[in-house]
Amino acid sequence: MFEIAGGFDIQEKLHILADAAKYDVACTSSGVKRKGQEGMLGNAESCGICHSFASDGRCISLLKILMTNHCIYDCKYCVNRVSNDVPRATFTPEEICELTVEFYKRNYIEGLFLSSGVLKDPTYTMEKMCETLSLLRTKYAFNGYIHVKTIPGASDELLAAAGFLADRISVNLELPTAEGLKKLAPNKSFQTILKPMERVSATIAESRQAIGKSGYMERSRGNAYLPGSIFEKNRMRLAQQERYSQGNSSLWEYAHSTAVPAIVSERGQIREFAPAGQSTQMIIGATDENDYTLLQTTQRLYQTYDLKRVFYSAYIPINEDQALPGLDTPVPLLREHRLYQADWLLRFYGFQADELLSETRPNFNVQLDPKCDWALRHLGEFPVEVRTASYDVLLRVPGIGPKSAGRIVNARRYGSISFEHLKKMGVVLKRAHYFITCGGKMMYRTPIEEQYITRQLTGVNTRENWQIQHQQEDHRQMSLFDDFGIAR
Amino acid sequence: MRIFTCERQYEAMMTCIYDAWSYALSAGHENVRLMPEPVYQPSLFEEYVHIDADEEKVKKVTRSIQSKIGMDAYIHIYYACLSKEDTLDDIYRFLRVGFRMGKPVMQALSVPEVLRMMEIRRNVGNEAHYFREFARFHSIDNQVYVCHLEPKNDVITLVAEHFADRMPSEYFMIIDDNRSYAVIHDLKDTEAYHKLSIRQLEPAELQKLKQTEEYPDAYRGLWKTFFDTIGIEQRRNPKCQRNLMPIRMRKHTVEFMDE
Repeated sequence: MFEIAGGFDIQEKLHILADAAKYDVACTSSGVKRKGQEGMLGNAESCGICHSFASDGRCISLLKILMTNHCIYDCKYCVNRVSNDVPRATFTPEEICELTVEFYKRNYIEGLFLSSGVLKDPTYTMEKMCETLSLLRTKYAFNGYIHVKTIPGASDELLAAAGFLADRISVNLELPTAEGLKKLAPNKSFQTILKPMERVSATIAESRQAIGKSGYMERSRGNAYLPGSIFEKNRMRLAQQERYSQGNSSLWEYAHSTAVPAIVSERGQIREFAPAGQSTQMIIGATDENDYTLLQTTQRLYQTYDLKRVFYSAYIPINEDQALPGLDTPVPLLREHRLYQADWLLRFYGFQADELLSETRPNFNVQLDPKCDWALRHLGEFPVEVRTASYDVLLRVPGIGPKSAGRIVNARRYGSISFEHLKKMGVVLKRAHYFITCGGKMMYRTPIEEQYITRQLTGVNTRENWQIQHQQEDHRQMSLFDDFGIAR
Repeated sequence: MRIFTCERQYEAMMTCIYDAWSYALSAGHENVRLMPEPVYQPSLFEEYVHIDADEEKVKKVTRSIQSKIGMDAYIHIYYACLSKEDTLDDIYRFLRVGFRMGKPVMQALSVPEVLRMMEIRRNVGNEAHYFREFARFHSIDNQVYVCHLEPKNDVITLVAEHFADRMPSEYFMIIDDNRSYAVIHDLKDTEAYHKLSIRQLEPAELQKLKQTEEYPDAYRGLWKTFFDTIGIEQRRNPKCQRNLMPIRMRKHTVEFMDE
């Protein structure tokens, strides 16, 4: 692999390597709270902070770059595959550190998101990445957020080092089934992806227990009141049994051998291993699995590996290949949106994958969001009386979310609630009013009838769906001066 | 009806509440109103009383809020004092409910006074958070970092606190261009809370400081390169971008400055 037009300056490198990294989706800086420290640069907020929004409306929270876009692999869907003729560049560790620190001081970013193509071999690449992170944490005294992607196939020592240096670590699942992966990423296998995922997950649990926390990641607080949540301890244990029967797979043994100074704090404690947890991402629309498979895979990942997030990336056709959809395939944005909606229902609302979809209905309703769809199929459970219903029942009403449900539960202890109050507390009444009563009355005369409510709700949703599908078009009022070239 | 007026500033507002309250004990709470200055349209039939800040009274009010209604309520009220709206009377009405109910008042959202305070805090808190996200510092030779903001609510102190934790070893300064004052993070000022101090700016100083946005800095170009590269053309969505990063927030952000 040659850098034919070598000697790019830093601006050109940044352009090439940001361009190559932009298809990665996980740009979050959440999940860890860390105070600033004298003599160091940076802190971390548990809610995460977005610093800008790109032209596609996605948040820019981290400096999302590849270390290099040289790659020995030939994954069909990837822009950096070895068979593509694109300009290639590699950052030196110092360049990455400088960029991160200087951007951070100007408040452009919240931290670093470091991924990479595979240069020479996985272990060499991962070693370079760890070197960069180590330099950033020590010489540059950077205390902000770092998200690192691991390279499948790298050695365990390096995996451990990366986890101790970064806040979040992720292994990309890429595709939800082994067949899909075999077809589109011939150099990767499910084994090389799931094994590091398992080891990271076991190490996170052990590291958390070592400092007196529960072995399970923190979840949205509401989950404690949701009896059917996927994060229920018994369910998690059941899903993980298989994993533990294979023996301890933690990387904790490397904690001391990889203890570079930044990892050990002033009090001699070892830094927590990936305190913001582990995440992964899947490409949707490149192979032909249905939404049910995707959602089940998601749920299994949350339960088995205690992942903090699963990200979906709508497939964008950039390469031409027989195994891939054609170049003119539209980007499945609405499908991606529906999957994220369902993902939220799993993580915050106590839904199970099986409740939302099934073998016989394997795909999401295009017209309606998953929660409305579920409610319409279970009209027998509605209407719900907001003055008495429990938190978990309230949460299942379309238009009521964790925040407003919490507010309702608290507020009704001190006085009676009316529709007016509900509106001010943040309940979306245009959806909710078909499903709730307040003091025994509904807001309007509504027949509890599937056909009727479906018709009404589709009307509400059509506009939003249209916007998601046609977001490319930027409609605006015509201007005589700008559009017809008349000088002002 | 007696109307108590004061400056828009935490200490003055707390003193005003104290004096209004002690008057109301004899005259009744219905016969008292509070209003921040300036009062543009005084009514003929009311009596206006101007109140100046008094440290002793501020302490008393603050202490009783914190001990009787709780820390969360205190933050509600502090944020309300920073609001762009006339919140003084709302605070007073909230305190009446608050002292009666105690700590649980924070959850009693069916009470209009409490709901109103929640809305105010949300408004101020959201704006402060926006500027934690979209504030941009301009490096002056890597020595000092200067940031210009034009918030609607008076939030730069809240924003500065965040950055004091984030960059404890840098000199920086956040300037409110409209209210013409600055919060300065001075490493030598070790006495001050988080090394932060507030300074009113003269018009000439403000003019001079405004030039920092043009001060040459290579990283500004690099950031623009990154920003323009990272968006995916096939997913272009200007409407979503506008929702999440409103146009008025973009005035001082580097990536939108030339447009």
